[in-house]
Amino acid sequence: MTKEQFLKQLDSALSRLSTVERQDILQDYIEHFDIGLEEGKTEVQIAASLGSPNQIAKELLASYHLEKVETTASAGNIFRAVWAAIGLGFFNLVIVLGPFVALLGVFVAGWATGAAFICSPLLVLVNAVINPDTFLLFDVFISMALCGIGLFIAIGMYFATKALTRGFVRYLKFNVTLVKGGLKRD
Amino acid sequence: MNVQFKKGVLELCVLVLLDKQDRYGYELVQKISDQIEISEGSVYPLLRRLTNEEYFTTYLKESSEGPPRKYYKLTIKGRTYLHELIKEWQEFANGVNQLIKEGVNVD
Repeated sequence: MTKEQFLKQLDSALSRLSTVERQDILQDYIEHFDIGLEEGKTEVQIAASLGSPNQIAKELLASYHLEKVETTASAGNIFRAVWAAIGLGFFNLVIVLGPFVALLGVFVAGWATGAAFICSPLLVLVNAVINPDTFLLFDVFISMALCGIGLFIAIGMYFATKALTRGFVRYLKFNVTLVKGGLKRD
Repeated sequence: MNVQFKKGVLELCVLVLLDKQDRYGYELVQKISDQIEISEGSVYPLLRRLTNEEYFTTYLKESSEGPPRKYYKLTIKGRTYLHELIKEWQEFANGVNQLIKEGVNVD
């Protein structure tokens, strides 16, 4: 890795920090490269003994975050944290509540259809008792067919509910890691 | 050697090197890596952290060759911390040495 590659990689890994802070950090490494070069080392040698820029960035970011939490509980900081939490709330409202409502709709509709179909012979009987003159044998057969279809729908919904619930839980977990300081990347 | 263990020791090394004189980053890195195998890049994050914790102050000084260098100077707080660390280290090292001695002698 050359000096430029090293610095570029470090710079992009530190993109979460402010420009001033980042410049300050990079300056240390620029100085290190410059002195090394004066002593007759090559850029590649120096970069190799410095180690991975991503690893360095990790150490810097870790202590940066700790510091923020530990040292500064100023009004500005608290305000920013609250704002971030609200922002997170809005984000989650759309990202989590949206799919959740959609899934719930599918569940309710599916189960309601299944239940109605299964109960249809019963409803035909009730109808026959209340209004004997409108009773048709055709209704009985159709309702029995519907009852069969309803059973299949109920069985299907049972498995769909299980699978979708599991999927949604996994999605929630993904969402939590996303919200907690971003996805891991090297 | 274990990375976490090394990190703790690295802190002590940096503080010790600054006890007698101010030094610049590259110098510190070279002094340490002459003695211990480290990934040199991790010294700078450590220096930043210790500076933030007010164990060091920094200043820029012109050098005869090339651009100015950032020097690290131990503060009083840093020196007190160094003496604590040295004490802890010696107790630790004595303990481990004692265990090694007993372990090796008894067959």
